[in-house]
Amino acid sequence: MMKIEKKENNLLKNAVLILIFAAIIVLLDLDIIGDNYVRRVLNLAAIYAIVSVSMNLVNGFTGLFSLGQAGFMAIGAYTVAVFTVPVEARKAIFYIVPQSPLVANIELPFFVALILGGLLAALVAILIGMPVLRLKSDYLAIATLGFSEIIRIVFTNMKTITNGALGIKSIPQMPTMWVFFGAMIISVILIVLLINSSYGRAFKAIREDDIAAEAMGINLFKHKVLSFAIGAFFAGIGGGLLASLLGTVDPKQFYFTMTYNFLLIIVLGGMGSISGTVIASFVVTVGLEVLRFFDDSLVLFGYEVPIFRAGFRMVIFSILLMILVLFFRNGLMGQKELSWKMVGDFFNGKKSPKNNRKGGAA
Amino acid sequence: MKRLLSLFLCLIMVISLFTGCTKKEETSGDAAGSSDVIKIGVFEPLTGENGGGGLQELDGIKYANKMYPEVLGKKIELVIVDNKSDKGEATTAVTRLIEKDKVVAIIGSYGSGVSIAAGDIIKNAKIPAMGASCTNPMVTQGNEFYFRACFLDPFQGRVMANYALQQGAKTAAVIMQNGDDYSVGLGNFFIDAFKELTGDEKSIVDVSEFQVNDTDFNAILTNIKAKNPDVIFAPSSATTAPLIIKQARALGIECPIMGGDTWENPAVIDVAGDDAEGIVLSTFFDENDPATEEAKTFVTGYKAELAGKEPIIPAVAALGYDAYLLVRNAIERAGSTDGVAIRNAIAATKDFEGVTGVINFTEEGDADKNIAVIKTVKDGQFVYIDTVEVK
Repeated sequence: MMKIEKKENNLLKNAVLILIFAAIIVLLDLDIIGDNYVRRVLNLAAIYAIVSVSMNLVNGFTGLFSLGQAGFMAIGAYTVAVFTVPVEARKAIFYIVPQSPLVANIELPFFVALILGGLLAALVAILIGMPVLRLKSDYLAIATLGFSEIIRIVFTNMKTITNGALGIKSIPQMPTMWVFFGAMIISVILIVLLINSSYGRAFKAIREDDIAAEAMGINLFKHKVLSFAIGAFFAGIGGGLLASLLGTVDPKQFYFTMTYNFLLIIVLGGMGSISGTVIASFVVTVGLEVLRFFDDSLVLFGYEVPIFRAGFRMVIFSILLMILVLFFRNGLMGQKELSWKMVGDFFNGKKSPKNNRKGGAA
Repeated sequence: MKRLLSLFLCLIMVISLFTGCTKKEETSGDAAGSSDVIKIGVFEPLTGENGGGGLQELDGIKYANKMYPEVLGKKIELVIVDNKSDKGEATTAVTRLIEKDKVVAIIGSYGSGVSIAAGDIIKNAKIPAMGASCTNPMVTQGNEFYFRACFLDPFQGRVMANYALQQGAKTAAVIMQNGDDYSVGLGNFFIDAFKELTGDEKSIVDVSEFQVNDTDFNAILTNIKAKNPDVIFAPSSATTAPLIIKQARALGIECPIMGGDTWENPAVIDVAGDDAEGIVLSTFFDENDPATEEAKTFVTGYKAELAGKEPIIPAVAALGYDAYLLVRNAIERAGSTDGVAIRNAIAATKDFEGVTGVINFTEEGDADKNIAVIKTVKDGQFVYIDTVEVK
């Protein structure tokens, strides 16, 4: 009896929380609170959340150390860029080499191009995954890293389609935050459902011990490719949203260093925790902006403090990260998900049961 | 301990958010009320890939602010934000300038990619922006609120093609850096202009591209040597240029080697050594041949300001200085801090005497400059050869 009551109570709390968040976004979206700056930062955080969750599916839940996220994002971003820029604006953009007649007159609605970008990324992931996923740990990381560089160089050289190094601009902007937050909510729900399905249990089994998993009858190869392709699909969606948010793409954006941003987010949030990843995406993106005041020069008692200059916020940010990694070895959430019990325990000072699994930072 | 620490961190986060909010209220109050400060935003890459160039440009802007600190009887305050040479960061930085700091105009940025990313935000907010050294045509294209103080790659390509022709070159080879918008743009415009001027489709004997971070150009250069061009045009960064020059000379290629404004960097001479002698480059500005009165005062003043920090005045600093003056001049003529009014005043700029020449704006918002400076290297120094006027 008690238990049921408690469950209902939690349901109520969840509903209230979701309503509050939805209300905040609606208010932001209608320009009642906040401004474009806040909206832009939150949109960027939502996109980072999509990509980070997709990376966590591969790295945190399936245990494949893949660093190819920037490459998959590039595929999604370029698909949206190539197909949604209005046809009449294209001649001015492709001013050195004209666009190939294959794609020059095709203009797709944003959502079609977005899904197409995700599917293309997934297709490429399947093709690349078949040989590469036979590798393990560090070797897989190097192979996927190399792959994301190959994608970038291919895009640099496909001048008649991607405009090469000059990049593409005038990508239509989305009028509402719901495009980004809607995509984030849908992606997160889909990935949570996947993780709790039999496929998800197989992924986790592979993560813990792939030999044991195989002995239990799990088709290792099939599941690894599946996880890799689904991760790539959502990374492609994230890339397409990023292209629309920024309004421009060029190959330099998708250096392999971009992947490290997401690696940072999933390690910080906890490898194997969806809620941790989403929280970390927002903490990192919003945190970097909040710390901006360290970049301004600070005058104390008529004396200009010399260390307050451009770039100082990155130092502070790194120090905060080090503190977090030192004291929260498994990231903010470890492999656990956010729950009311956890919040309650935290404030009542109850020690949560020690997380003995190996997970967390590599 | 853990709990305490995490609570403490949370507290810091929340507090800093609140301080952010109070700041915002202050500034919005300022904008509405009787403020005696006019804010001009500066968005430059101060860290990341283009950090070095961004800082040079910023120094020029800061110096201009020191020289001309007031407009309309109010003090001008520069609000400087770092865009980390990153597009995502650039868009939030510019939105921050417009929404939080309520700037009336924006100057920047070094590097065309970040400027293009910021372009749409600037256009929608109707805040005029003045680029200093972003040379990619797409920055101002179709954006009536973006202007720039520098000349464009097409112009520079034309200047070098003209110069090559004057020196009696009939054939040319071009080397470009694949993946670099500056290098590819400039190289292609040189090719077009050279073909047009010689009237010969075959006057470009070879076009080669190399990858970022390549250090061995022997394959490309051997190929070029076999074609025996009268001149080689190799727009590239200051780190790559000396390698190309050295290896070309080592292979026994004797013809002149030409480059763009990025070559005007002491690093080129330091690394290439004696091989750098005789290279030709075009640039925005020459401190030994001031184009205008403003330039004369700028050269003496800024030399003293640099105090030997850098051997020559960087061209981007001069452009940053000009960009600031153009914006200030426009605010003065507009007589208000309204974005559209300032924008119209900038567009109406007529024969403005800047450090880098007389500036007018084309319909697209580009500086319609008619002069470029050609320099060469002699005895380990950049030497002025000619000021070319192209119409």
